[in-house]
Amino acid sequence: MTVGRRDSGAPGDPVTVGPRVTVGPLAPPASPGAGRRRRQWPLPKQADPDAPLLVVENLRTYFTLSSGTVRAVDGVSFELHDGEALGIAGESGCGKTTTALSLLRLLPANAKIVGGSVRLYGIDLATKSENALRRYRWREISVIFQGAMNALNPVRRVGDQIAEPIVERLGLPRPEANRRAVELLELVGIARDRAAAYPHQLSGGMRQRAMIAMALACDPAIVIGDEPTTALDVMVQAQILELLERLREQLGLSLILITHDLSVIAETCDRVLVMYAGRVAEEGPVRTVFREPRHPYTQMLLAAIPNLDSDRRLLGTIPGAPPDLRTPPPGCRFHPRCPLVMDVCREVVPDEVRHADGVRVACHLYPPGGDGARRPIPLPEVAGADAPGAPPAPPAELAR
Amino acid sequence: MSVVPVAPVDVRGARWRLRLRNARQFARRYASRRDGVVGAAILVFFALLALAPQLFVGALQTVTTATGGPLEPPSGAHLLGTDEIGRDILNLTVHGARVSMVIGLMATLITILLGAVIGIVSGFLGGRSDQILMRLTDFFLVLPTFVLAIVLAPIILDIVGTDAELFGIRATLLVIIVVIGITSWASTARIIRSQTLSVKERMFVDRARVIGGSRAHIMRRHILPNVVNLIVANTVLTFAGAIFTETTLSFIGLGDPFAPSWGQLLNAAQQSGAPGLGAWWYIVPPAVCVVVVILAFTLVGNALDDVLNPKSATR
Amino acid sequence: MNARYLARQSAQAIFTILMIVLLNFLLFRMMPGSPDRVNPRNPNVTVEQRDAARARWGLDKPLIPDQLVAFVGSTLQGDLGYSIKFQGQPVTEVIGDRFGPTILLIGLAELIAIILGLALGAWTGWRRGGLADRIGNGLSLILYSMPYFVIGMPLIIIFAAGLGWFPTSGMLTAGASYAGPVEFLTDLVSHLALPLATISLGLIGGYSILMRSSITETRAEDYIATARAKGLTDGRILRSHAFPNALLPAVTLIAINLGYVVGGAITAEIVFNWPGLGTLTVDALDSRDYPVLQGIFLLLGVSVVLANFVADIVYGYLDPRVRQ
Repeated sequence: MTVGRRDSGAPGDPVTVGPRVTVGPLAPPASPGAGRRRRQWPLPKQADPDAPLLVVENLRTYFTLSSGTVRAVDGVSFELHDGEALGIAGESGCGKTTTALSLLRLLPANAKIVGGSVRLYGIDLATKSENALRRYRWREISVIFQGAMNALNPVRRVGDQIAEPIVERLGLPRPEANRRAVELLELVGIARDRAAAYPHQLSGGMRQRAMIAMALACDPAIVIGDEPTTALDVMVQAQILELLERLREQLGLSLILITHDLSVIAETCDRVLVMYAGRVAEEGPVRTVFREPRHPYTQMLLAAIPNLDSDRRLLGTIPGAPPDLRTPPPGCRFHPRCPLVMDVCREVVPDEVRHADGVRVACHLYPPGGDGARRPIPLPEVAGADAPGAPPAPPAELAR
Repeated sequence: MSVVPVAPVDVRGARWRLRLRNARQFARRYASRRDGVVGAAILVFFALLALAPQLFVGALQTVTTATGGPLEPPSGAHLLGTDEIGRDILNLTVHGARVSMVIGLMATLITILLGAVIGIVSGFLGGRSDQILMRLTDFFLVLPTFVLAIVLAPIILDIVGTDAELFGIRATLLVIIVVIGITSWASTARIIRSQTLSVKERMFVDRARVIGGSRAHIMRRHILPNVVNLIVANTVLTFAGAIFTETTLSFIGLGDPFAPSWGQLLNAAQQSGAPGLGAWWYIVPPAVCVVVVILAFTLVGNALDDVLNPKSATR
Repeated sequence: MNARYLARQSAQAIFTILMIVLLNFLLFRMMPGSPDRVNPRNPNVTVEQRDAARARWGLDKPLIPDQLVAFVGSTLQGDLGYSIKFQGQPVTEVIGDRFGPTILLIGLAELIAIILGLALGAWTGWRRGGLADRIGNGLSLILYSMPYFVIGMPLIIIFAAGLGWFPTSGMLTAGASYAGPVEFLTDLVSHLALPLATISLGLIGGYSILMRSSITETRAEDYIATARAKGLTDGRILRSHAFPNALLPAVTLIAINLGYVVGGAITAEIVFNWPGLGTLTVDALDSRDYPVLQGIFLLLGVSVVLANFVADIVYGYLDPRVRQ
């Protein structure tokens, strides 16, 4: 059995999101045992072998500025299972990067996790001391940063930088670490002789691959990609995404992909988490969420993607701007910009409700105990359109 | 469609109000820098001493008006003791403030004038002129300026004659001023030039050119205001350097024994063997004054630089 | 190392040295305060003696091109003329005698200052904030504001005249004879201590401030965040990632500084009566011994140019981005 990705032949029509990207069929999450047996290194001593890979519960991370406290992540929960790829989507400043960095506490000095738990194999990382936490960095969770040019040390050779965590964290002798580094480079599609190159001697795409190789150096369970393709052109972007998929299949990696580009999530991820202003708006299997978005924010996000196949002429935009997280609006943080806003939205924070199809939504349109049916938002009028419906184009059952 | 009458806009008044608002904002931001405030207070103190030393300690003592015996340690009569010919050290030190500050000021003016003009012209004109001027600047940067100063001083003195005077300042000191100016302008020119280059890139300069402003006009009305902040910060730091250099040159013997600066006092101390004799009162006052003033200028210069030329905040 | 890079830097260096030689000529021959005015000061010198002296110095030929060519030619051959004060001893010898003591003093002082200053600056810059940082920074600023003699004179008063731990001046005890090398070294070291401390202290301040600001900027770079994410220890991040990168701008300034410091230590040598180039410069200045001054000017100018050249090469070695 291949760990992780798609089985071909699963039922369901491919759904078009964006100009060229297709959402494939959903693959079931792999059982914990298979993924964990493939590990090269034993589980951490405190790990619970039956616990899910990663459970984040009610995470809250605040920044202290001279002008006030920014509540950048204010009650975010999600799970990640072995072999899964979770995409975190949202506008700039919604807290997606802060959420991911909070997992390893790679936060600037003025940021602090003020509440919640981050359980890796059942071990709560949020309560660990800095020294104890170091053990988990890179060995269990590693990061691919945006803009590899600046994320790589310019005066050291690429091979050295990949071998460094192998030597320092795994304790392997240098010659063996170098050998492994070269193997990793080949794994990501970089020729062996480039190991002696400096970062500025590589192209943008190669640098990103090198960063991926470096992230894999200690054979981590989870790799976090923070906008890994944003700085690249479309062709290179496709290559990198393809590489990530291949690695997931080969190595049984679990992936957290942070990006504002929904087409990337559609192509690579199993589940998507849509964040707004430091909170979760909607979360669920990619296909379901993108085909039938429930939360008004998700709907507007998807409506904002230009679609060559649809007849919609006007691009949907979301009026207004994200709130100042020093003084976020009461109740649902999206209510100032929501086209379906109700009075309760202005005062009460919506509960997160889990629906039968695996989607979790935090919106008063979908109260607990309700029927869970979609409430589509009004979309802009189009001259001469035939099916001005939800963003994914044709299927007639989706027309209003 | 009718024409709506528009109230005449008071451009001049608006400009002054804007300047006032900027000034207040600047004052507030500067006041938040404690080191800059301390430095400024120190400088004000020394400026007062320099402006009217007679008010504080009376006239400068000379050989004939010396009030004490040679090298007396501090006492009630002479708070800081006396030098080798019996002059009161407190008296000499306070008068020294005037000499050091005045020389520093004038040397700084020359340095900044030369440096700013060459920097702006070179950066703005670009091309051949820029290359030639920059070669010149680089050359001056490379010269061992201190030795150049030592070497130029007697040469210029020989040309001008030791008894010449200008604005009541004797030739020896004038030479120091000129020499500091000649040897220090290069680094200022470099800094100003790169700022000019970045200002030049900005759009509004192109627009002024399109409108047809002459080059001089553009340099004066557009480039200069944007470079002035840098010039101000640089001036203060140059002042620190000028006092440093003047003190050192005087210490070597190029100063004027009749208008002693702090450096000249230290030279006299060295010549009279004060260190070996343990006559600390001769050395400590001028030394402390020099260090404190240079430090004050450095603090003010750094504070000004931070307030006027804010660098983007680090992550 | 790229050959073209080397060649370009060498050419620039040679060109600048030639310009310095030219300037030397201009200063000392064309300026009115030049050698042929020296003799007339002495009223006992007759016209014939003066003309003979002028002929000996080659001053009766036209300035350009004859004197210029002769000057450049002899300079390049290592003939820097003869000292006026030292009764016709070749300038190269005069300078050569004083070169050693200066290099000994300056070399050791720079070594100490670089090691201590960079370390102090890196440590305070990495730890930003806190009492140690503020004290370190404050001390560095104060030292940076003090000319060498302002550091040296108090040191003499306290440690030499006051406590008597060290001699007050000179490089070796006058007229001493030594039983063996150990005695010689002891005498040398005891004389060396205070001037060495003076110059080192003066330099440490500047290097520390420089390194501190460089480390502070480097700390904000993305690859430091990557290093943290890799779970490396703080010490290793500083040593392996931050320090090498922060060193780059510092190295250039340090190397350039080396070129100037020889001239700058003049005042330290005066205070301690150290028999080096500094005291020679002042002596030559007092006696208007222009050939010697010329020689020193040339030497220092060349050393600055060489220092810049070495700085470029070292920078090219340390920063692979520059080499292409």
